[in-house]
Amino acid sequence: MAATLNPSDAKVGSQVGRSVPRLEGRDKVTGRAEYTHVMRLPGMVYAKLFRSTVAHGKIKSIDTSAAKKVPGVLHVVTVDDVMKVLKSPYYGPAFHDQPILAHEKVRFVGEPVAAVIATDPHIAEQAVQLITAEYEEMPAVFDEVEALTSDVFVHEQLKPAHTFADLKHLKDAKNTNVALSYNLRRGDFDKAFAAAEHQFEHEFKTQKVLHLSFEPFACICDFKDTHVTFYDSSQGPSFVRTEIARLLGWPENKVRIKVPYLGSGYGSKLYIKLEALALALAMIARKPVKVAHTFEEMFYQITRHPSTFRIKSGVDKNGKIVARKCEVYWNGGAYADIGPRVTQKSGLTAAGPYDIDNVWIDSHALYTNVTPSGALRGFGVPQLVWAYEGHTDMMARALKMDPVEFRRKNLAIEGRAHATGQILQDHPIEKVMDKVLERMEWSKPFDRGGNSHIKRGRGFAIANKAVISPTTSVAIVNVSADGSATLYCGTVDMGQGSDTAMAQMVAEVLNIPTEDVRVTPRDTDVTPYDMGTLGSRSLFHMGHAVRRAAEDARDKLKALAKEVGEPEGSNIPIAELFQKRYGMQAGNVIGSGIYKPDYTSPAPGTGQSPNVTPFWMLAGSGAEVEVDTETGHVKITKLITVVDCGKAINPKSVETQISGAALMHLGFTMFEKMHIDGGQVTNASLADYKIPGFHDLPTKLESLYVEHDQSNGPFGAKGVGEVATFCVGPALANAIDDACGVRIMEMPLNAETVYRALRAKMGKPLEDA
Amino acid sequence: MKPPPFQYHDPKTLAEAVGLLGTLDNAKLLAGGQSLMPMLNMRFVLPDHVIDLNLVEGMAGIKETDGVLEIGAMTRQRELEFSDLVAAKCPLLHQALMHVGHRQTRNRGTIGGSLCHLDPAAELVTVCMAHDATIAVAGPGGTREIAFADFPAGYLTPAIELNEIVTAIRIPVWPAGHKAAFIEFSRRHGDFAIVSAAALLQIDGGRITRASLTIGGVAVAPVRATEVEQAIVGQAPTSELFAKVCESCRSFEAMADIHASAEYRQHLAVVLARRALEKAADLADNAPWNRAH
Repeated sequence: MAATLNPSDAKVGSQVGRSVPRLEGRDKVTGRAEYTHVMRLPGMVYAKLFRSTVAHGKIKSIDTSAAKKVPGVLHVVTVDDVMKVLKSPYYGPAFHDQPILAHEKVRFVGEPVAAVIATDPHIAEQAVQLITAEYEEMPAVFDEVEALTSDVFVHEQLKPAHTFADLKHLKDAKNTNVALSYNLRRGDFDKAFAAAEHQFEHEFKTQKVLHLSFEPFACICDFKDTHVTFYDSSQGPSFVRTEIARLLGWPENKVRIKVPYLGSGYGSKLYIKLEALALALAMIARKPVKVAHTFEEMFYQITRHPSTFRIKSGVDKNGKIVARKCEVYWNGGAYADIGPRVTQKSGLTAAGPYDIDNVWIDSHALYTNVTPSGALRGFGVPQLVWAYEGHTDMMARALKMDPVEFRRKNLAIEGRAHATGQILQDHPIEKVMDKVLERMEWSKPFDRGGNSHIKRGRGFAIANKAVISPTTSVAIVNVSADGSATLYCGTVDMGQGSDTAMAQMVAEVLNIPTEDVRVTPRDTDVTPYDMGTLGSRSLFHMGHAVRRAAEDARDKLKALAKEVGEPEGSNIPIAELFQKRYGMQAGNVIGSGIYKPDYTSPAPGTGQSPNVTPFWMLAGSGAEVEVDTETGHVKITKLITVVDCGKAINPKSVETQISGAALMHLGFTMFEKMHIDGGQVTNASLADYKIPGFHDLPTKLESLYVEHDQSNGPFGAKGVGEVATFCVGPALANAIDDACGVRIMEMPLNAETVYRALRAKMGKPLEDA
Repeated sequence: MKPPPFQYHDPKTLAEAVGLLGTLDNAKLLAGGQSLMPMLNMRFVLPDHVIDLNLVEGMAGIKETDGVLEIGAMTRQRELEFSDLVAAKCPLLHQALMHVGHRQTRNRGTIGGSLCHLDPAAELVTVCMAHDATIAVAGPGGTREIAFADFPAGYLTPAIELNEIVTAIRIPVWPAGHKAAFIEFSRRHGDFAIVSAAALLQIDGGRITRASLTIGGVAVAPVRATEVEQAIVGQAPTSELFAKVCESCRSFEAMADIHASAEYRQHLAVVLARRALEKAADLADNAPWNRAH
């Protein structure tokens, strides 16, 4: 059916709200979709990395002579070679602190020290094994709390990038591992806490876990003297372009980043990862160079932040929380990456979705001698919720209050002020809570099980998060002379279904079937600027830009109709419109849209702002478990997660985003952990680091949403990429406590940990057996 | 990763394979490849020669002779899983196979390969220990048999010479009507067990007349709980009895790694020993831990 200007059967909402199957789904399941990791360019050569075996040390010497002699090896590169083509080899989004290859010092085990470029990846791999290096080992610091006061400094001086105004004062700072301290002050914590009827203080910890995308990191750089092209597995091509242009001292228009489909990212492929290295190697090799990681190498690229969270609350005699202090320490690893942003942007929600008059938050980003930490599906919020929702349950138990009623008494509802001072809008937290409780049948009697060794329990948790702000998205909608529409947007479809959702919004505005909208592959020469596919921002920010671009195109088509003499309300086929105007099938109508939300920077020192986020993400989880008290084994019999999505643009995609996020977090909660011994990761492979599989699914898994119109959102919608990760961990820990009376303060909740806690509670610790 | 280069050999007869193994330096035998291939690819082993046994004739098959189940070393685990003979004569082996890796790995994995790799947590190793199996080996000097109790020489190390090949496994079957139970505790379904337990019971007239109890995954090789075996023979099977005598398993020497501490392994040995005996004696049919996944 040909697209027409004002179709008579036009139905508002016919495209938005449809569970349109993924536009690229068939290509993906039939193996036709393009991914960087399997892509090859003519004349391409391959690089593999030689990595540090010490956590902190001065490089005394690197011997590459044997590697150079391997047939097929073209170059063996150290930072000295890099600095011949790029004077300053340092990169990073918040700090320019990460060298392309280790420079003078190594700062973590696994840090790239040298690279081999060869005609074949296996030759490169073999040659890497012939490289040797000598280090003068230095004392190292691994723990985030120790790093605060340690006299071991990971960096001699700090090098903030100019991008972030709030990091400027750290320029050239010496003798510190603190990359950022974020503070929020509201009311008078000390006074309110001292006066409170009940006082509570707990310390929670989270472990080091990582993203493990199905497609490991991969980047191909094709360097020419006048321009450079990257084929990149990246969640943020616009940022990559800016950073590469900075390294080269070139204008952005000479740098081209092409991004095929991503085999997921979860935050790992943000900002800049392998691109600077690939650039340097391609400049040296004068051929296209591919750098592609193995699964094992991902353990040395980027992880989630381990954290220590000291939380204090004062509660009055009516069960109202009157004061809360949050001290959060983020283990950032050897290079800052986006850690300072995690520290600040999640730090501001550290006190939880509660209505508390007196709040004190200190959130510190710390350098340590381990693999760098960055964004991972939730930008730090899951670590915070782990603490404050465990803390909430512990307080309720101590106060002999029902944990759900205790929460209800304290929830921050619409119209109340958040700890930042922003008045909460579109914040239907009670709706989310009620839906979880309804599906859990919370008000009905709970079966605690009849077996003497198996104890049943249930738990609940609730959370909110502010979307990262302010950020910008730009989109273009191009209507061709035959009436077909093409969308140019930089949001990277890495499995979340953004291409389909964005196409649905174009189709809704233009009154055409979603399946007829073509979404161009990401290419910074073609697709306009986008801040990045991160932090659940795309559907909201890019969604606005896409909607505006489509509306702009629609308005221009109407103007064109007027210009060629069509009457008002004409239903002329679009193709005929172009024919009339240009005399043949020719021409384009180009609509564009830009979106950047309003924002007020938090006041320095107090973190207060009337407008710190354009929308809130809300999630609640309920879990039921069976604990085998003889072994500590936990079987999850029910896991229910409810989020507020504003409006489901594509209901099926919303549901799978929720189930995917919940299961990913189930792994982090129950068994995933990078074991680190003296800085060395001892389980850096999928044989020893297990992620959830189908057998780990809860007996019953429900992934649900409520639709509470987001008044400033495109079609009332907001993002849901991360939100279902927030509450899974504490809901499970609360359920275990409910089942058998033990409280675990540090993830993961594996069987031995649970069993040890049971024995400790009995007064017979396992180690004394 | 990919393995560094090696020379590949595909002998057609056992004599040829033994000949190659005896003459080549730094050679590895390839059976089902479910352990060797990942170890090659991750460069944990660096052989100069790989001798593939998959084309050697007469190394696979299952038969019963005079109360002994004889299984060729190259018999696939999946074939054992579907063997009526195994299910009828050796229910312990049948149960254990359901825990061996996944369907995909059982399609390829062999019993001989698993025994020679000798992972401390491997189910088939535990079954052979429980059944007092005998391992048949061929070398340049002819053939010999090794009692399974003597087969593990250390961690991942069978007591065979570098020039010997395991050809068959002989499992003396227990009388018809005997009871068997194989259970294990793993991080996730399909993962290597942290601790496993295999129980065999002969019960006549309400009393245990013969017992075998083996704990896998605790030490470098499976351990027979002889103290428990001796204590329960002649007794009526009850949960109270099993709970009392299985405490002795806490004294087993235990390994520690990132997956479990030594004292936790010892504790699991106690719990799993009791549960395996209870299951074999039909005392725990409704126990939640015996429910299918």
